[in-house]
Amino acid sequence: MPDDLLRPSTPRLVVDGRDMQPPEPLEKTLEGLDQLTEGEELLLLIYCHPVPLFNILRNNGYAWQEAVREDGTHEIRIRRA
Amino acid sequence: MHPELSFEQAPPIDVPFRFFLTAPLFGIAAGLLLFLVGGDMLASRWTPTALAGTHLLVAGYLLLAMCGALMQFVPVAAGGNIWRPRLVAAWTHPLLIVSVTLLVAAFLTQRSTLFLAAAHGFTLALGVFGIVVSAALWRSPARGPTIVALRIALIGLLVTLALGVTLAIGIARNAGWPLLSLTDVHAAWGLGGWALILLAGVSYLVVPMFQLTPSYPAWLARGLPLMLIMVLLAWSTQYADTARNESLLILLGGLGVSSLFAVETLHLQHRRRRKVSDVTLLFFRTAMLSLLAALLSALVFAMFPELRFDPRIAVWLGVLAIVGVFVSAINGMLYKIVPFLNWLHLQNLCGLQAVPPTMHQMIPAAAMRWQFRVHIAALSLLLAAVWVPALARPAGLLFAVSSAWLGWNLIGAVGVYRRFRNRIRAGAEDCRC
Repeated sequence: MPDDLLRPSTPRLVVDGRDMQPPEPLEKTLEGLDQLTEGEELLLLIYCHPVPLFNILRNNGYAWQEAVREDGTHEIRIRRA
Repeated sequence: MHPELSFEQAPPIDVPFRFFLTAPLFGIAAGLLLFLVGGDMLASRWTPTALAGTHLLVAGYLLLAMCGALMQFVPVAAGGNIWRPRLVAAWTHPLLIVSVTLLVAAFLTQRSTLFLAAAHGFTLALGVFGIVVSAALWRSPARGPTIVALRIALIGLLVTLALGVTLAIGIARNAGWPLLSLTDVHAAWGLGGWALILLAGVSYLVVPMFQLTPSYPAWLARGLPLMLIMVLLAWSTQYADTARNESLLILLGGLGVSSLFAVETLHLQHRRRRKVSDVTLLFFRTAMLSLLAALLSALVFAMFPELRFDPRIAVWLGVLAIVGVFVSAINGMLYKIVPFLNWLHLQNLCGLQAVPPTMHQMIPAAAMRWQFRVHIAALSLLLAAVWVPALARPAGLLFAVSSAWLGWNLIGAVGVYRRFRNRIRAGAEDCRC
C-alpha cells in the first residue's frame, strides 16, 4: 500500500527480528514505534512478510515500505503516515 | 526464511481453544484407567482396557488437539478459508467427545450398541469436519510442501475413519471379517497416514519459525508424505495375499522413512540460529528421539526372532509412538500456539493503545519446565511398565498428573487472555501489564 509515501532514510531505530522467536519482533517493533517522532523511521529486519504487523500499522496511522534482500531478509521501514 | 502467515482469515480464538483445552482431559482419563487397571492393561494391545486406553489417547487427546490445530492452521498457514468455523467446531467438538466416550465404553463393556453408536458419532463428526477442511485445503491457492502434507494427512484421517467404522460394525455384528488384520491397517493409517504426516506438515512451518532453525530440505518436505503413503499402501495390501509375510520389513521401512524426518528435525534444531532451549524445543526433541527409539527397537526385535511373538513388543512400540512421539509433540506445540494466539488476538483487540502480556507472561516458564519433567518421568515409567507390570499404576498416575498439569497451564493462559480482554473492553485507560 503506502510504499510510495516513503523514501528510505537513516532509521532512528533498528529492530533485528531475524533471531527472535515470534511474536518478539512484533513486540519490539510496537515498543519502538512509541519512541518515533514525526519524520523518524524504524527499520525492522525479519525473515517473513509480517501480515499481523501490517494490520496493526494500517489501523493506527503508520506507513511502511518493504524490500526483500537476496538472503530472504525483509527490510521494513516504518514511519508515521 | 519462513513461509508466510496470514491472520486475515484466522477463526475466532474459541474455535481452536475448545479443542486444545479438552484434549488433556483424555490424557487424564487414560492415565487414571491405567492406574485403576494396573499391569494387565499393558500385557497385550488386544485387551479391552488396552484398546480403551489407546483410543482415549489417539481418538481423544491426539485427535482433538489435531482437529483444533487444523481449524487454526488451515486458514492461517495454508490460506484455506474454512466455512463457518465456529459452527463446524460447535458440531465436531462435542460429537467427537461423545463418540470417544462411547467407544471407550464399548471396549470396556463389549456392548454392540455402543460400538455402533460410536461409529455413527465419529462418522457424523469427522464426515462434516473432513468435507469442510478438504474444501478449504483444495480451494486454497497456496503451494508448497505444507499444504500438500495437510491434504494427504486429511486423506489419511478419512481412511482411518472408514477402517475404524468398519471395525466397529464388524465387532458389533460379530462378522467373520479379518478384524485383527484390519486393526493393523487402521492403526498404521491413523499413526502414519494421519498423525505423522500432519505433524510433519505443521513442523515444516513451525520448527523454522519458532525454533529459529533453517528450513527443511525441499526433497524431504515434499517426499516424506509420498514415501509414507507408499509404505502404507504396501502395508495395507500385504493382507490381501496371506502367502506374503513382509509385515516386519514394511514396518521397518515405515519407521525408516519416519526416522528421516526425526533425524532432519534434530539436525535442524542443532543448527538453530539462536541457542535458546525453551520447553517446546525439548518436547519436540523428545518426540523425535522417541521416533528413533521406535526404529531402533524394531531393528532389535527383528534381530531376535524369539522376541517377535511377545505381545509386549507391540505395546512398547505403541507407547513410544503415541506417548513418546505424538503426545510429546502436541504438548510442546500447545505451549507455543496457545500463548501466541492469545497475544495475537489481544494485540488485534487493543491496537497500539495498550501492550498485551508477553508470551512469557501467559504461562510461567517454570510451570512448563516442571510439567515437561513430569511428562518425561511418566513416559519413562510407562515404557518400563511394559516389562515390569508393578510400575503400571504409578506410570498411569504420573501420566494423569502430567496431562492435568498441561491442562492447568493452558487454562492459566486463557485466564490471562480473558482478564486482559475484559480490561480492554471495560475501556481502562491504562491496560499495560
